[in-house]
Amino acid sequence: MPIRNVVYRQREAGQVLTDLSDYRRAGGYEALRTALTEMDRDETVYAFVRSGLRGRGGAGFPMGRKASFIPKDSVLPAYVVCNADESEPGTFKDRELMETNPFQLLEGITLAGYAIGAVRGYIYIRGEYEHQARILDAAIAQARTAGFLGQGVAGSGFDFDITLYRGAGAYICGEETALLESLEGKRGQPRLKPPFPAVAGLYASPTLINNVETLSALPAIIEHGADWYASMGTEKSTGTKLFSISGHVMKPGNYEIVLHDTTLRELVYDIAGGFRPGREFAAAWVGGSSVNVLGPESLDTPLDYESMAEAGSSLGSAGCIVMDDSGSIVRATLRLAQFYRHESCGKCTPCREGTLWLERILQRIVDGEGRMEDLELIESLAGRMVGRVLCALADTGVLPVTSAVRRFRDDFVHAIENGGVPRPEPMMEVPVGG
Amino acid sequence: MADYAPVDLTAEGQVEFELNGRRVSAPAGTMLVDAAYALGVEVPIFCYEPRLGAPIGACRMCLVEIEGMRGLQTACSTPVQPDMVVRTNSDIAKDGQDGVLEFLLENHPLDCPVCDKGGECPLQDRTFRFGPGRTRFVEAKRHFPKPLDLSSVIALDRERCISCYRCVRFSQDVAEDKALVMQERGAAAEIATLTGDQYEGRFTGNVIDICPVGALTSIPYRFTARPWDVTNTPSICGHDATGTNVELTLREGHVARVTARPEPNYAVEEGWLSDLSRFAYEGNRAPDRLTAPLIRDDGRVKEASLDDAVDAAALVLGRGGRVGILVGPTATVEEGFLAQELARTALGGARIQRLGIPGAGLDAIRSQPRAELGDIDGAGLVVIVGGDPPNQQSIVELRVRKARRRGAAVITVGPRPHALEPVGTAVRSEPGRLAAAIAALDLPEAASTIVLWDEADLAAEPDAAGALARIVGDRGASQIELGADVNGAGLRALGLGAGDVLEAAAAGEIDTLLTIHADPLDGPGAADWGWALGRVRARIAIAAYASAVTDASTVVIPAATHYETDGVYVSMTGRAQRLRPGATAPAGAAPGWELLIALAHRLGAPPPYRSAARAFAAAAAARPALAGLDYDVIGVLGAPVAAVTPVSPNGVNGPREAAGTGLPLVTTTRIFGNAAAHRSEALASVRTGAELVLNPAEGERLGIADGARARLRSPHGECILAVRLAADHPAGAAFATTGVPGAGVERLLPADRGPVNVEIEAP
Ligand SMILES: Cc1cc2nc3c(=O)[nH]c(=O)nc-3n(C[C@H](O)[C@H](O)[C@H](O)COP(=O)(O)O)c2cc1C
Ligand code: SF4
Ligand code: SF4
Ligand code: SF4
Ligand code: FES
Repeated sequence: MPIRNVVYRQREAGQVLTDLSDYRRAGGYEALRTALTEMDRDETVYAFVRSGLRGRGGAGFPMGRKASFIPKDSVLPAYVVCNADESEPGTFKDRELMETNPFQLLEGITLAGYAIGAVRGYIYIRGEYEHQARILDAAIAQARTAGFLGQGVAGSGFDFDITLYRGAGAYICGEETALLESLEGKRGQPRLKPPFPAVAGLYASPTLINNVETLSALPAIIEHGADWYASMGTEKSTGTKLFSISGHVMKPGNYEIVLHDTTLRELVYDIAGGFRPGREFAAAWVGGSSVNVLGPESLDTPLDYESMAEAGSSLGSAGCIVMDDSGSIVRATLRLAQFYRHESCGKCTPCREGTLWLERILQRIVDGEGRMEDLELIESLAGRMVGRVLCALADTGVLPVTSAVRRFRDDFVHAIENGGVPRPEPMMEVPVGG
Repeated sequence: MADYAPVDLTAEGQVEFELNGRRVSAPAGTMLVDAAYALGVEVPIFCYEPRLGAPIGACRMCLVEIEGMRGLQTACSTPVQPDMVVRTNSDIAKDGQDGVLEFLLENHPLDCPVCDKGGECPLQDRTFRFGPGRTRFVEAKRHFPKPLDLSSVIALDRERCISCYRCVRFSQDVAEDKALVMQERGAAAEIATLTGDQYEGRFTGNVIDICPVGALTSIPYRFTARPWDVTNTPSICGHDATGTNVELTLREGHVARVTARPEPNYAVEEGWLSDLSRFAYEGNRAPDRLTAPLIRDDGRVKEASLDDAVDAAALVLGRGGRVGILVGPTATVEEGFLAQELARTALGGARIQRLGIPGAGLDAIRSQPRAELGDIDGAGLVVIVGGDPPNQQSIVELRVRKARRRGAAVITVGPRPHALEPVGTAVRSEPGRLAAAIAALDLPEAASTIVLWDEADLAAEPDAAGALARIVGDRGASQIELGADVNGAGLRALGLGAGDVLEAAAAGEIDTLLTIHADPLDGPGAADWGWALGRVRARIAIAAYASAVTDASTVVIPAATHYETDGVYVSMTGRAQRLRPGATAPAGAAPGWELLIALAHRLGAPPPYRSAARAFAAAAAARPALAGLDYDVIGVLGAPVAAVTPVSPNGVNGPREAAGTGLPLVTTTRIFGNAAAHRSEALASVRTGAELVLNPAEGERLGIADGARARLRSPHGECILAVRLAADHPAGAAFATTGVPGAGVERLLPADRGPVNVEIEAP
């Protein structure tokens, strides 16, 4: 099995690492000690750059590059913000990290803070993760007591602390500038960019925002070296990646694999156990739902950033949602359109009105009131949204809709011509996870 | 609407770029929408409103194509860049604009025929010019119950709202009242108040002006007119001394509405009105408005024609007795001048004064360099001395808040709490001891300092005026007078003093009194005036509203209000601006300047002019302060009057001691507590009355409970007020509300508004 537990250190250790001593026994906080005693800030940033680590929140922007954008001469304090809003459909990899390996995240945030000269880190965690918030709270308290947070971190001259902030339940608050607004106590809505957070983020100060998984990968990079990390995967897709796999597979769950070493087929069939007897692969949204849907012809695509792009989709958050041939793509597409309509913050017109319109059209098609021209209308409306909105919610939120209409056009035509989509069969006739 | 920011295409530092195939230039940093507009290319917008702060890029209406950039760009948030190639009318840009309009209209009710915005609706206009001809939306539209009362003056129709956030940003970022919010998200987003209460404040009506659709409409104006039934006239607000520029909407001879001007006066109000400026117009037809001339004969009152009334007035005035003329604070420059001319010619030897603050010691500070309200925006330090600008010169509040947002330090010093105190550092002065508080001020360094000072407070403490003038002079600062009277500065420019007639009348030296928009029996010194006027034998009143004076006048000639006349007001910053009639005076009334010219004719000294413009030109020729001005020079945006001749700041040094015993009286004012607010039905739900506010410790000492009534007595007069005990008011002073019709706090004061102490007891 091509599983490689690097970031999921708790799996490698075979136990939850919610106790500081357990985490340290598993090698925890060695990286921070190394950085604080043997590396200066620039060297630390450089290690991140050389590791090739890309942001794991969805956009895949190189983490080290982003850290290097933080201005050094700002009169304002710098911050690290950890994006723990994990709200992308099908994505639940960060949850396990926070639940079972919270210190690694704290260590990663502290390393990032040291690298950019930040005074404080914030973890913005989605409101629904109450249990995980409690675990993080306890971990922060332990880290403080042990001197890994607070004045003079680990006996060094570096002062740094971490504050946990709970969101109130909005997908849009995972978008980095909406997150910052929310963190500042305002209505969570994206800001106009530029300026980008690296220059003017939290309280208009230089801010590095990264995903939980991104930050959790930093200790291993420092501990084992950037070159070691970069040796895994391809030039542009280095290291390991956590995949959340869900849907009609027999063994849904989180799996850590080396990028590029595994194909979609291997992930679905070998790792996630394939489908119920007699069922075939129908479609997959590999990078969360905000991506183009893929059909069976893409099963042999290696799982890395470039290959997914070549296949016409993207790796996104690697929340891989898989459907077998028992369900209706049309209905699934409606469900996703409902999600984006429900989560649109409403700030900009094309998204606020466009997501609603798309949902209404798909609802009509599912209800048997679709018209053939609706398919062109969907394309046209989506075209009037993409590249014209304020944030990526709508830019990428239309992808599952337009790609489904293109890739599975026959299904839509069939629904339009045959009175809609029948109610789905119950999903759970065979227990999953076996 | 003031949709686009003004752009100076001749300023230094121009950037060259290409716009729709034309090589053009605009100053660096200019937003593309503004540059394009100045260059004759209209890029449609909805959310952009430069007066609300940095652009938010929400509506996406302003999409344009910029070569080399992915997708379309919002021109409202893209500054011009050297050599950028911009297309606002390419197929792709047009598709962007068309698309946004299609999305906006998707859920829009399109009830134009019954919408109050119809005919002056940016959404309607832009749909017509830039939008799709048809909709592809076949689903059911979103529905909300409509309309809601956002307040007693603002109706909210949520179906028409296009979520442009302008109203929210006004509330959050301009008025900073933090009341309006966007609630819910996505297509369910709706405007609401944070607390669920009504939207009340000093500036709420501005959201009606800036709403680009009919989502926020004026309840008093709703359904009264269509844009093609009305005419709009630029004029000046006559309810405070700021010289706020307004536009009067005229329908069938009446003021149907007051709004900000489409092109605001950036030096003055920047297009923001107080709710008093906006909604007081309803008082123009209040029940106490004088509409028919009256002649009193042996205790009998009879209505007369205007001609007969002017004849009767001339008869009384011409009898040869000693005449006094009182010019009230809302009289125009023309009216003041014509009154002076009467006193100089036909009524040679008549005494004349304006009703207002003499302010003998104020020229020391007045003669320091003046600033405009617009200059406050860019100040590094704003010092506010005395007064209560939010309640008295309300739009000043918005300027000060804006300066603070831009990083200015704000320091307030004065005897009474007010809404600008929390904006900066507040120094509370002891009543009567402003000079000491000013001298003790520790002002930070700043590149530019503007000092705002309250006319009434400093007039009561002339030593403070000198102390402040020294600071202004030493720092090279500039100053803005927080004037007490609407046209006080205009009447002063004519050289009108403020004490002569009272003195003479009190000494029994006035037989006949002519009042022009003057109501001394309701103003400061009401008790003293009452006594002095008792010695006058005949009174002639030219007035718009009934009052104790008109009730006791032999001849009452109804005058036009400032909504109905031509004329010039000079604002507290020395800006001469024109009133233009937005309404027709009632049949039995006429503009004061016309009445005074008629009177001069009847008295045998006809002036050589018959229009307000010529009367003003004559005043400008005769008075150095007005030299060089005429109606054309004043134009639409006004022109400054001459600076006050420099006066040494070292004139008065000791404090002026208050008369009487008891607690020092600190007068307060409420924006909706004056006669204008009380006359307007639109302001009925926000208007306030008079009260005596005491620190709870004073209440205890005096044995007066919260909510009780108390009698206040000064050496001048007395009145009875409800008492409120409030810990945010310091002990050692009695705070009483002036300006409230019928409350009588003015009776406690001397006519020059000097300091007094009051004895307080249960009535
Ligand atoms: C609508 C929307 C939702 C997002 N939600 C998340 C999220 O839940 N978690 C996350 O890490 N990034 C999320 N992102 C991506 C963030 O904006 C940002 O790119 C990311 O936090 C950067 O971190 P990274 O570089 O480590 O991935 C979201 C983006 C959008 C547009
Ligand atoms: S694209 Fe959608 S979610 Fe993003 S700002 Fe616009 S309305 Fe909000
Ligand atoms: S807001 Fe404008 S477009 Fe909408 S109904 Fe009113 S007039 Fe018509
Ligand atoms: S009510 Fe008017 S101003 Fe407020 S958001 Fe809606 S459209 Fe904009
Ligand atoms: S006007 Fe530019 S986005 Fe609204």
